Amino acid sequence: MINPYYLQIASFILINIILGLSIYITLSTGQLSLGNAGFMSIGAYTSALLTVKVGLPMVAGILAGSLLAFLIGILIGIPTLRLQGVYLAIATLGFGEVVRVLFINWESLTSGAVGIAGIPHLGRTMLAGLQERGFSSEQWGLKNNEFISLTIFIILLAITVLLLAFFSRLFASRVGRAFRAIRLDEKAAEAMGIHTTYYKILTFSMGALLAGFAGALFAHVTGYISPADFTYHRAVEILVFAVFGGSEVLWGPVFGALFLTVMPEMLRGMSEYRYFIYGTILVVMMVFRPQGVLDQPLLDRLRGRRGGGGDDAA
Amino acid sequence: MLLEVQDISMVFGGLAALREVSFSLAEGEILGLIGPNGAGKTTLFNVITAFLTPTQGEVRLAGKPLTGLRTSRITERGICRTFQNIRLFDQMTVEENVMVGRHCRSRAGVWPSVLRTGAQQKEEGAIREKTRELLSLVGLTGHDRELAANLPYGLQRRLEIARALAGEPRLILLDEPVAGMNDQETAEIAALIKKILGFGITILLIEHDMSMVMKVCDRLVVLNFGEKIAEGTPQEIQSDPLVIEAYLGREEGE
Repeated sequence: MINPYYLQIASFILINIILGLSIYITLSTGQLSLGNAGFMSIGAYTSALLTVKVGLPMVAGILAGSLLAFLIGILIGIPTLRLQGVYLAIATLGFGEVVRVLFINWESLTSGAVGIAGIPHLGRTMLAGLQERGFSSEQWGLKNNEFISLTIFIILLAITVLLLAFFSRLFASRVGRAFRAIRLDEKAAEAMGIHTTYYKILTFSMGALLAGFAGALFAHVTGYISPADFTYHRAVEILVFAVFGGSEVLWGPVFGALFLTVMPEMLRGMSEYRYFIYGTILVVMMVFRPQGVLDQPLLDRLRGRRGGGGDDAA
Repeated sequence: MLLEVQDISMVFGGLAALREVSFSLAEGEILGLIGPNGAGKTTLFNVITAFLTPTQGEVRLAGKPLTGLRTSRITERGICRTFQNIRLFDQMTVEENVMVGRHCRSRAGVWPSVLRTGAQQKEEGAIREKTRELLSLVGLTGHDRELAANLPYGLQRRLEIARALAGEPRLILLDEPVAGMNDQETAEIAALIKKILGFGITILLIEHDMSMVMKVCDRLVVLNFGEKIAEGTPQEIQSDPLVIEAYLGREEGE
């Protein structure tokens, strides 16, 4: 029943959902960022280096990576806030490339294009910790690798559920209304007393924080990272999760990440064409359904069919 | 004086949209700002609310200069506005539009919102209560869940007024609230304006509908080509030769 291969795909889905959320947050005030792969790499490299070279515990590394991405998000957010739409996209794209090239060339620290191997593994570290306390996987009738995959999946699932709860509450509040007002009409929002600059930096840096967090998790789930994991393609992929799934409802990026992670696995032979498919999806979506697959009317209809339901989701 | 506009000039490139315009509003007063198209009326609104930074001059609210404040801070100080070309959040519901208008009178930030603290829940309840009141005031009860974009034009204008009132303004700026409305709708808005005055809110009104302006305004300021050409009661303005000339043109052979 517990198949490490499926669990690994499920874990990547969850990391991709967090990445999808990171871009969704930024988009929620109408900012189109292509820098989230850059923030992801900052989180991943920071946590990897701190655990491998300094020997910090994994939790400290993940927190430090997320925090650094957040701080750099604020620093990048302040000057680029003057930019809108495609100009912001280009500036953040440039930022992502600068970060990647920095990691390639700073060989003394990052081993350049070779990448960093032997990063403490989330599941194995958990197992080792438990084994010290006299636990063994057999007690649960599991092999070690099954236990490791299962642990990673459960931890990531718990994190994702918490994040979804966090954001569904946030978007249903005064703050969430301010986000949407800014996206719909920034000037009118400002005239309603909404400090648009504050909220735009808030969402931009929250997106950076989340991307950095997902990057740090990614590093400790795969155990190996290199600059090739954080290319321009990754930035587009993250954006497509939200654009395809739906950039106006919280379930949009969740669905987008789920579908677009499973699809290449289902169509193994097609995975070479992944970016071809992403490109096609972007064009088709922009023409026929710019708000993405899921939007509020569709969610309402799905809920109605199930016979009522919560009004909690944003 | 609640609002003092002093020597405001606004120059775009070489073109002066406003030239040393000065006037003031007493608390509880309704002042009409009139003038032909392109006279600079909306530009003046944009200067007062800091959408534009004036080339020269100062705006004061209750004696305090507003110079250098951003729009949202001015709203907090108590100036709310509507827009000539309606600017509702069209993909939000009617109710949500008014709730957004309440932003500057509420506080809950990220953590209280996520943790749903007692104070946040109470505040959210108060926002909904106030929203219900305002929607009933402007006659939009029953439309709460509709998207603003789907409202008929006349109701959109009313919703903009409700949204502006949600910020509890001391001064409300109404930019052509009856543009494109028929006589009955205009009369209804005029009645609503009287009600707003009844709450002690001061009103600065831009309007082209002269019969309405003459009926509701205490005083009028007339702009033409960015300059103030007259100021006075509706009766005085109606007989002012400069105003007549601005609207009708000079007679030939003079």
